Amino acid sequence: MDKKTILRFLKKKVLLLDGATGTQLFSRGMPHDVCPEAWCLKNPEVIKSVHADYQQAGSDIIYAATFGANRLKLKQFGLTNVREINRKLTRLAREAVKNKTMIAGDIGSTGHFVQPFGDLGFEDATDIFKEQIRGLLEGGADLLVIETMMDIQEARAALIAARELTDKFIMVTMTFDKTGRTINGTDPRTALIILQSLGADAVGCNCSTGPKEMLESIRAMKPYATVALVAKPNAGLPKLIGQDTVFTMSAREFSALGKRLVAAGANIIGGCCGTGPAHIAQLRDRLKDVRPLLPVRRSLSALASARKSVIIERNKFFVIGEKINPSGKVLMQKELLKGNFSYLRSLALVQQQAGANFLDVNVGAVNVDENKTMEGAVEVLSVASDLALVIDSSHIKTIESALKIFPGRALVNSISLEDEKIKKLLPLARKFGAMFILLPLSGQGIPRSLSERKKIIKKIYSRARRFGFTKDDIIIDGLAMSMASNPDYGRTTLKTIEWASKSFKSSVVIGLSNISFGLPNRAMINAAFLALARKKGLNLAIADPAVLKAFPNQAAKKIRDPAALVKYFSQVKAQLEAKKPNKSASIESQIAKAVLDGDKDAVVSLVNSGLRQGKNAYQLIESTVIPAIIKVGDLFDKKEYFLPQLIASAQTVKKAFALLKPQIKKETFAKDNKSLIILATVKGDIHDIGKNIVSLILESNGFKVLDLGKDVSAAKIIAAAKNYRPSVIGLSALMTTTMLRMKEVIILAQKQGLKTKFMVGGAVVNATYARSIKATYAQNATEAVRVIRKLT
Amino acid sequence: MKPKVFKNIVVAVAYKKIYRRLGYRDNLTRLSLAQRNKIEGYINEALGLLRVKGMSLRLRITKNDCERILLSQRVVFKSKSLALLLRDSREALLMAVTCGNKIMRAIKKYTGGDDMVAAVVFDAVASEVSDAGLDWLMGYYNQQLLREKKYLTSKRFSCGYGDFTLENQKLIYRLLKLKSIGIRITRDCLLIPEKSVSAVAGIKNNI
Repeated sequence: MDKKTILRFLKKKVLLLDGATGTQLFSRGMPHDVCPEAWCLKNPEVIKSVHADYQQAGSDIIYAATFGANRLKLKQFGLTNVREINRKLTRLAREAVKNKTMIAGDIGSTGHFVQPFGDLGFEDATDIFKEQIRGLLEGGADLLVIETMMDIQEARAALIAARELTDKFIMVTMTFDKTGRTINGTDPRTALIILQSLGADAVGCNCSTGPKEMLESIRAMKPYATVALVAKPNAGLPKLIGQDTVFTMSAREFSALGKRLVAAGANIIGGCCGTGPAHIAQLRDRLKDVRPLLPVRRSLSALASARKSVIIERNKFFVIGEKINPSGKVLMQKELLKGNFSYLRSLALVQQQAGANFLDVNVGAVNVDENKTMEGAVEVLSVASDLALVIDSSHIKTIESALKIFPGRALVNSISLEDEKIKKLLPLARKFGAMFILLPLSGQGIPRSLSERKKIIKKIYSRARRFGFTKDDIIIDGLAMSMASNPDYGRTTLKTIEWASKSFKSSVVIGLSNISFGLPNRAMINAAFLALARKKGLNLAIADPAVLKAFPNQAAKKIRDPAALVKYFSQVKAQLEAKKPNKSASIESQIAKAVLDGDKDAVVSLVNSGLRQGKNAYQLIESTVIPAIIKVGDLFDKKEYFLPQLIASAQTVKKAFALLKPQIKKETFAKDNKSLIILATVKGDIHDIGKNIVSLILESNGFKVLDLGKDVSAAKIIAAAKNYRPSVIGLSALMTTTMLRMKEVIILAQKQGLKTKFMVGGAVVNATYARSIKATYAQNATEAVRVIRKLT
Repeated sequence: MKPKVFKNIVVAVAYKKIYRRLGYRDNLTRLSLAQRNKIEGYINEALGLLRVKGMSLRLRITKNDCERILLSQRVVFKSKSLALLLRDSREALLMAVTCGNKIMRAIKKYTGGDDMVAAVVFDAVASEVSDAGLDWLMGYYNQQLLREKKYLTSKRFSCGYGDFTLENQKLIYRLLKLKSIGIRITRDCLLIPEKSVSAVAGIKNNI
């Protein structure tokens, strides 16, 4: 049966799939831990009876028993004849149901995550799926189903492989858990957007949940679906009954919920784990006269990463973060040359936090292998960020590398009328389901007038339509150029935006910072021009989201012409006014505030200013700094401050001490000098963050600290104690095993006649243990200060 | 049976959890916008340094006498509490996750370079992510096992807890071939990089 016939059926009725195959095989004698495909070939009558029972129950489509018949799964059982196994199992299905029921060649997961999420290369994955699909097609499958996918990238690989081999009807179903997402965080709408853009004819969900939970997934997909939706739920959620975990949902209850799934928009429905022919038969009866809800859209403007999708609406505004671009950025160029992507990852997260909706990725720089680097960058960004990527390169190969491994729906930046580009990039974008930025350039210089631009836009669009693109799949570049040489460029850009948005009815983007190149106060000009452009219909900008946030475009409210805008901002002193200190407050209260705020930069200038005013350094420590840090400790104990604030304040105090202590006469300081504390993390323990915090807080409270570090032997601690004669020794341990070493230190001290007191702490230590080894317990850094004060 | 490699575990970390780990309490802790921005900047920087890798291995349980668990490949764990966890399990799932070296190097750099705020935030991010990595592995197996009519115990057990001594980590280290994902083990059985964790859970039949 061909695709057209299936599509025709779908307009009239809800297609019925089969129920679980595994559940039926187990109940008909298949043992655990065997290869199901090999077992079916050895017991053909059993699998044929399963297929026949589902046909009898009313299934329009049954799945061949080829779920795990891929190279990697079969290899676990020592089998290598992948094509033959798929061919034979598909033929067994045909023998069972003849030509009265359609047969779907069933493609399951390889059990490996695909690049960028796992160790299986993208091309290796497509090769593995192609091998299986060839067998399924040879066996006579009417359609293909890619099912129970928990990795969107594996689903992409399977679908791309299938589309390269056949134009048959293809269904793809993902498995979403109780949270409504796949294990890697893909939600139903995102999966739908990615898979329908790649040419799936039906998308949906199977397994993991029952029909009730699956309703939410179908409801989330329906408003955005351009294709049929599939639901193949389990017989409810498994329940623990005695020692057994079982699916308990009856066929009657299942079919009632099945009807609700259809009402929510499912066009193809069946059952997964725990269901059988009875469930399908009841579904058939319930759905007999039910008309399907057809897809509500013909196309959809949307981009997606593996974990988030964004619908691009023309009345909303979206920012494409521009910062991942090494042009003029020496540090980024160096990092890319080294193949180090940590900096890129942080830039992505910073832009995401600042409000970017998408990330432009350009890695072109001198001596950088652009293909390899783009692949590395896309790998890293796909995992680190939730944002869809805009693939920005002038090289076709680089764009192809990126589109292949990006596990979402990307935006190609850009496709112009230049001969080679349009010829190669349009089919590439189509194959990988990408949207593209339509750049109105023809290879004959930059078109200066709107009419020239309109001609090019229409030509590119007409070529794109031949590949099935619609206006929803493209975003027109308004072609922003610097107004430094000619303010008219700004006017033409605004006219292009207005025409593209209002007449051509497409989304429009500009590279915002181009407009101010060579001008002063660029951030302000950009923000103001953006406001003008948005009035004309601009709905996307490639820009720095942090700058957009920082410069509200007040001026644009008054200025309507780009030339006036340039003039206005050229006259403005754009310097942001630095925070002025509160002159009415005393220097002491300002220092105390800096300590409370943990502002170590402010404290330096404040203390210096205090000393210049003739303030007594000793008094500043005793009457201002120490009381402030004690107050911080109190706030921390009350949980009004949390750890980073406590530490920031302690570091601020340390800065203040560094300036104040050298000013104090030695004799003044000596008479009130605090005692020495030795700190160490005991032998065998490498965890030292807690001990380091205690050290800092003690120092900021005026104590002298000798920190011996981590993994320190008892002998070394005692030797230091003999040498420096501390008032207290503080020991830290994080593990139950290393905690015991604290006792060894204390026993050694006793043996050697040391009278020093001990304080202990760490995640597993408690007051009872501390008492048992004759030490005092401190739960955290502020308590350590109190304990030390008591002990000294 | 070879251990399974997870090259790039996608961990969705809730910032809220990182804040809680650092002692933040809703309706109690007061934080200025500047302080929040600074801390979130550090969180982003830390997340930029993480690459979460994992290994796992399924082993058949051949005997569980409530004190010792005998597994295939002649593996023996001695622990009453682990034996209790694995009481009705037919298999054991050994797993480990690491956040990698870069984050630890950064923590060291910030501690030495006088920015302890960054160091503690980085530490909290890495701790949260390594725990979430083990959660992810268990979630992954739970979905895979469903098709085999099996499921995972809801709890997992790590070496160093109760009577499941830290020495067992050496065995887990060897079986999971943790060296291949850049993990070392000290004489005292601690995993290096520090933000690396291992655990054992049970696999039950019966669905």
